[in-house]
Amino acid sequence: MNLPIPFIVLLAVLSLAGTGFYCLLFTRNLIKVVVALQLIVKGVVLAFVLAGHLVQNESLAQTMAITVIVADTIVAVIGLALAVQIRLHTGSLDLKALSNLKR
Amino acid sequence: MINILIACSIGLPWLGALLVWLIGDKREKAQHWAAILFSVAAGAAAVLMLWHTSAESGLTITMGGVFGDFTFIPDGLGVFLSVIATVIGSLAVIFSTSYMKGETQIGRYYAFVLFFIGAMVGLVLTSNIMLMFFFWEITALCSYALIAFHNDDPKAVKGGIKALIITSIGGIGLLLGALILYVYTGTFDISVFIAAPSAVPAGMLAVLAFGFLIAAAAKSAQFPFQTWLPDAMEAPSPISALIHAATMVNAGVYLLARFFPAFKDVPYWCEAVMIVGMLSALLAAIMALTSMDLKRVLAYSTVSQLGYMVYAVGAGGVFASQFHLFSHSIFKALLFLAAGAVIHSVGTRDMEKMGGVGKHMPFVKWVFLIGALALSGIPVLNGFWSKEVVLEAGLAGGPSWIYGVMVLVAGLTALYTIRCVWKVFFGEARSDYHAHKVEMAMKVALAPLALAALVSWLAVGPFSTLLGTASLPQHHIESLNIAELVHEVLTLPTLIALAAIAIGVVLWLLRAKLEGFVEGLRGLRWAADHSFGFEAINSAVVRVTNSLAETLRNTQTGLLNWNVLGILAAVIILIAAISLGA
Repeated sequence: MNLPIPFIVLLAVLSLAGTGFYCLLFTRNLIKVVVALQLIVKGVVLAFVLAGHLVQNESLAQTMAITVIVADTIVAVIGLALAVQIRLHTGSLDLKALSNLKR
Repeated sequence: MINILIACSIGLPWLGALLVWLIGDKREKAQHWAAILFSVAAGAAAVLMLWHTSAESGLTITMGGVFGDFTFIPDGLGVFLSVIATVIGSLAVIFSTSYMKGETQIGRYYAFVLFFIGAMVGLVLTSNIMLMFFFWEITALCSYALIAFHNDDPKAVKGGIKALIITSIGGIGLLLGALILYVYTGTFDISVFIAAPSAVPAGMLAVLAFGFLIAAAAKSAQFPFQTWLPDAMEAPSPISALIHAATMVNAGVYLLARFFPAFKDVPYWCEAVMIVGMLSALLAAIMALTSMDLKRVLAYSTVSQLGYMVYAVGAGGVFASQFHLFSHSIFKALLFLAAGAVIHSVGTRDMEKMGGVGKHMPFVKWVFLIGALALSGIPVLNGFWSKEVVLEAGLAGGPSWIYGVMVLVAGLTALYTIRCVWKVFFGEARSDYHAHKVEMAMKVALAPLALAALVSWLAVGPFSTLLGTASLPQHHIESLNIAELVHEVLTLPTLIALAAIAIGVVLWLLRAKLEGFVEGLRGLRWAADHSFGFEAINSAVVRVTNSLAETLRNTQTGLLNWNVLGILAAVIILIAAISLGA
């Protein structure tokens, strides 16, 4: 079986993002939410690289990928820090425990 | 030269606002002096602009991109209103040094007052409508913050929020207009549009014209948005004098006058403007007759007099509207500041508890009387001349039945004004109040305004030249000297109006004998006390919005999983739409 490389990359994008979204849909654990976000963003970075390859503009794709990596790192750091604080305050990592912030 | 003056009259108050705040509330005296210094300096810069008016750009700040250039044009209309804003602004600041003495957080007070003065000057001088929108909203913000200055008083906070919401509705009209203007003319420059309004198709021009009418009505507290102004009277009195009588509420009239040449041919626009002015003038005058709160009476009379100005614009009398605006700013600022002196001294706003105040405060009595006579339109004060010019313009450019109503309102104005003066200053004291001495700073602010209320109409010649074609090429305002003014005013319609005013005065003198008649008008009184149902409409809108929000709250589960589902669903729909469309 000889699949072209872009097709394999596309499959990887879809499976990474798909796994991430699946996690986000069904997990209630804050740490897992952060992990799921990371998965989605890794898929997106790969998608940028693929798109850059397809339109022959790799340098732009690289810039975008690096920007996303920087932004994503910050998201991960802040997300985990929030998770730690929430654990300290509510004693749980369950998202449902946070929904009482609504009122 | 002119660019420095423009920058000073906007920038100095803003600089002062920052400085007063930085000085800190521990050094109250320094704050008072800094506020006076910066507002007076801005006033001087604005007055100097009177000698440099032109229709050309005086100051251009290149922004590039979609905002275009931030252009300021020192034309007659803009400079005149800048002078009003800064000069009355500095008098209000001087008055405040006595009125607000000993208040906590005086820095916040002065910072917002100065911020307001600068924004008001910017609003009337800029010819970039997007920038005008920003200044428009800044004035609304300052108005809100100053109405709610005593933020531990729920009534003040409520009044402030009400003013903010209603004026913001008007702001949306202006923003919409700005965007339509940009779409069709490719620029935010007002002067380009006014010179060639046909660039906008007729249908869109009508949307624009009526959008601006809504904006103006909300800002100038005109029908059907008049309810916010009386509630804004929770503000300290100098604020009522400056923002809610002499300057910000004029912004709506200014907007209509500025765009009049572009909109005058829109079908039914002029009629709509006249009717809005007439209804505001009439309803507010009736409410002023029944209110017992001194400041609310003045607020209703402001709505009523602004109605005259709006009516004049609708009838094509741009000069008349601005001339009345000029007189009104002076005598109404005078009335509010004098009322502030009374309230500061007596400690209540309820006229039922006053009476005989004139014996304790003769100076305030006399200046208030001058303002009241000007408001009633008694010769030879400035209000008489400008109101007559408005009525002449209305008769010439509008239907006679509206003119008739406006003459009736002139009579009502005289009636409620004399009632107010009588209840406050004459008769016997109706409660055990202790009147204090009037301080020097208050007298310094009141005396020039009283003098101006007597003689400002003599400046009609320079004033009409100021608004002439040299600086407002599209408005076609002809110059008018004192002799011509007298000649124009001394005609039969003036006698009719004077007769109406005289009837108003006589009705007050005969009030004891007319009790049966007044009793017959009980229904009208009840309606006026309930603001003709507009408060009920307001509270219904608030109720519906609240219950809708409560219902919609159920869709906010606060759970991440549901939100992600929503996002995913939206993405899938979007992808499907794009692929189907392609």
